[in-house]
Amino acid sequence: MIRFLLSLFAPFRWFIEKMGADYPQFISILKLKLTMDNRRLKGLGNTSNKETENALVKQSLSQIFFGLFFGMFLMMVKLPFTFYYFAHTFLMVMMAMMIISEFTTILFDTTENVIIQPLPIKGNTISLARNAHVFIYLSLIAINLSIVPIIISIFKFGVLPGLLFTFSIFLNVLFTLFLANILYLGIMHLASGEKLKNILMYFQIFIAILFMLAYQIGINLVDKTQIGNMVLPVYWYTFLVPPAFFSGVVEALSEGVFDLQHLVFIAEALIIPSMAVYFTGRYLTPVFNRKLLDLEQGDRVSKVKTENSRKGIWYRIMFPLFIHRKEERAPFKLLWIMTGRERLFIQSFLPSLAYIAIIIAVQFFSKSFNYNELVQSDRYLVFLYVFILAGATLSTALINGNNLHAAWIFRVIPLDSPADYFKGFIKAAFARYFMPFYIVLSTGIFIIWGVRVLPDVLIAFMSVYFFTILYFYVQTPIFPFGLEKSANQGGATFMKVMGLMAIAGILGYLHYFLLHLFNFANLLLIPVYISAIYYVNRISVYKLISWEKVDKVNNYS
Amino acid sequence: MDHQTIVEIHNLEKKYGQKQVLHDINLQINSGQIIGYIGPNGAGKSTTVKILCGLINDFEGDIKIFGKDLRTSTFEIKQQIGYIPENAVLYESLTPMEFMEFIGEMRGLENEITRTKAEVLMNIFEMKPNLNQRIATFSKGMRQKVLICSALLHNPDLIFMDEPLSGLDANSVIMVKEMLIHLAREGKTVFYSSHLMDVVEKISDRIILIDQGKVIADGSFEELNKLSNDENLEKMFTRLTGNTNHSEKAEAFINAFEK
Repeated sequence: MIRFLLSLFAPFRWFIEKMGADYPQFISILKLKLTMDNRRLKGLGNTSNKETENALVKQSLSQIFFGLFFGMFLMMVKLPFTFYYFAHTFLMVMMAMMIISEFTTILFDTTENVIIQPLPIKGNTISLARNAHVFIYLSLIAINLSIVPIIISIFKFGVLPGLLFTFSIFLNVLFTLFLANILYLGIMHLASGEKLKNILMYFQIFIAILFMLAYQIGINLVDKTQIGNMVLPVYWYTFLVPPAFFSGVVEALSEGVFDLQHLVFIAEALIIPSMAVYFTGRYLTPVFNRKLLDLEQGDRVSKVKTENSRKGIWYRIMFPLFIHRKEERAPFKLLWIMTGRERLFIQSFLPSLAYIAIIIAVQFFSKSFNYNELVQSDRYLVFLYVFILAGATLSTALINGNNLHAAWIFRVIPLDSPADYFKGFIKAAFARYFMPFYIVLSTGIFIIWGVRVLPDVLIAFMSVYFFTILYFYVQTPIFPFGLEKSANQGGATFMKVMGLMAIAGILGYLHYFLLHLFNFANLLLIPVYISAIYYVNRISVYKLISWEKVDKVNNYS
Repeated sequence: MDHQTIVEIHNLEKKYGQKQVLHDINLQINSGQIIGYIGPNGAGKSTTVKILCGLINDFEGDIKIFGKDLRTSTFEIKQQIGYIPENAVLYESLTPMEFMEFIGEMRGLENEITRTKAEVLMNIFEMKPNLNQRIATFSKGMRQKVLICSALLHNPDLIFMDEPLSGLDANSVIMVKEMLIHLAREGKTVFYSSHLMDVVEKISDRIILIDQGKVIADGSFEELNKLSNDENLEKMFTRLTGNTNHSEKAEAFINAFEK
C-alpha cells in the first residue's frame, strides 16, 4: 500500500525537484512517515491487525456516510455548475476543518526532527515531505467524502463530468493545503515559542466554533425549497471564489463550452493550485520550517514565566463543595492546575462548551422564534440536558494527551484505591469548567422562565453531574492526559456521540414526562439522583476502578 | 548501629511474555547500606527496582520489605520508600513546587512542611529560583534534580535509585554521592542501580552484579576483589559478564569504516 502511494508521486518528480527537493530523499522521508503511521495505528502490540483495519474501515464509513448526507442535499440541485460549486465548497470546508482539527499536529510535528535534521538533506525536502504526508491523508478523506457526490454526479450529468469532478477534487485539496500553510505562517509571524503554541490553540478553538456557528446558521437560513432550481449567477467576484474555478472547469470540459468565462475558470483551476503548490514548496515551507525549529526551541527561548501558586476565589469556593475525603484533595488540586494548562485538553474540551452555547443561541435566532411561545414551553429542559454531551467530552478530554510516561508517580505513592485519584480528577474538571457555565446558563433560564423552574434546574444539574462522573468512571481508567490520540478514532467517536445523544434524550424525556405527569412529580427525581450519585461516588467507583484494572492500561516506565 | 534486614527477596522470577527477565534472584539487604546494583544493558536492573517499588505486580517468588510482604502490604511499604526512576517523564505543565505539593499531600505531609522541605532540597541543587517555573522549560539534569528532591520529601527509610546521576553535571554528581553516604550513615538504605562503575565502586558497601537476570557476583568490592584480583570494578564487570575482547571489537568498529 505504501509503495503504491509513493509510486503516485513519480510522475511529478520534475515538479518536486523544481521546488527544491531531493526526490529520493523526499520519498525516503515520506516512506518513513507512512510506515510510522502504520505502526502507530497498530498500537503497542495489544491491538491486533484486524482491529486496526476495522477502525480504519469504520472511519472511512463514517466519512462516506457524511458524504451521503451531503449527497442527498446535492440530489436536489439541477444545474451542473451549482452542483459542483456546492460540492467543492463542502469539500473545502471539510478539508479546512480537518487540517485545523486533526492535521495541525502532523504539520507541526517536530519529533522526527532530531533524527532528520542532522542528516544532510537538501533544501526544503523535509517540509515538502511533511506537506505531502498531510496531502495523502486529506486526499483519502476527500475521496471518502466525495464517493456519494461523485456517483450522484455520474447519474445526473454523465461519466466524463464525474471523472473530471474526481480530478478537480485533488486540485481542491492542494489548494486548501496551500491556504492552510499561508494561514499558519501568518500566525507564526505574530509570535513565537510558548506564546505561539497558545495562540495556535485558541485559533483552533476559534475555528472549530466558527465552523459550528456557520453550520448551524447555514442550516437555518437556507431555504430548502429553492435549492433545486438555484442558478448561481457569475459576477466579477465569482472568479475569485475557489470552488467556482473547480466547478467551472468541470462544466467547461464536460459540456464543451469554451467561452471566455469558462476559459478563465479553466486557467484558474489549473494554474492557481499548481502555482500555489510551487509557491508553497519554494518559498513558504522554508520559512515554515525555520519557524518550526524556533517553535521547538520555544520552551527554552521564550521568557520563563513564574507561576503563581495562589489559587483563585473560585477554587476556594469549589474545593469544600466537592471534596470531602482527604485522599481526593491532592488529585483535585493537581487536575485543577493541569486542566488550565494542558493545551490538548483545552483545545478539545472548550469547543464543546461553545457548541452548547451555539446550539442554545441558535434557538433564539431561528425564523420561527417567538418569545412568548418560548416562555410558555418547557424548552429550558433541552438547554439543560444538551449539557450532557459536554460531560462526555470532558471525560475523554481528561485522558487524552502526551503524558503517557508521567503516570508512574501515581503508582509510587501509597494509596489504597486508585478510585480516589479519579474522583479527584473528574471533580476538579467539573468544578472548574462546568460549574461556571452552568451557573450562567441557569441565570439565563431564571431570567426567561422565572425562579419557579429552580427545581428543574437543580434536577438537570444533578443528572448532568451523575452522568459525567459515571461516564468518567466506566471509561478506561488511564491517568490524566496519558492516552495518545490516534488517527483512527473517528468512527468510534461517531457511534459514541449517537449513543450519548440517546441517553441525554432519555434522561431529558424522563424529566419532561414526570413534569407533566402530575404536579411536583419531577421532585421525585431529586432523591433518586442524590442516592444515585451517592452510590456511584461512594460505593461503585471503588469497584469500577481498581489497581488491577488501572495497572492493565497504564504504563509506569 | 544495629543492622536489621530491610529487604528479603526469595526466588524472584519475572517473565515478559515468553522472555524470562529475572531468574531465581535471592537477596537480603541490611539497613544503613548502599547497595550498588550493576549489570549490562537489559540485565534486569530496572525490572528488579520496579518490582521492589510496587510498579510491577506480577512476579513470582516472595519479597519482604521492612518485614512485610510486598504483595499484601504494598501500601505500608510504599509509605517508607523513595523511588528515583531512570529518565522519568514529569508532567511538564506543572512546576516543581506543584508537583512536590501533590506528592507531599498524597503522602500525608502538611502543605507548609512540604513547601519548606521542597525549598531546602531544591536549594541544595541551586534550583530554588526554578521552583515556580514549569518543568517544560527544564533541562535533563534539572528534571533529574526535581526527581531526586521529590523522592526524598517524606524522609524515606529505603531509597531506590535507577541511574540517578544521568544528566547531572560534575558538581551535582559529587553532591549526590556525598548525599548518599550521609543518608546511609543515618541508617537509611540505598539501593542504587547504575552503569557508572567508578561511582558504584567508591560509594557502595555492597555490590550486586546481575547478568541475564541472574546474580553472578555479590559482596563488598574488597570481598569480590579477594576472589579475583581485578584492579577495579570495571575490569571485574567485563570479566564476569563475559565481554573481554573489547579491543578486538573496537578494532572491528574502526575497520567497518575503512571499506
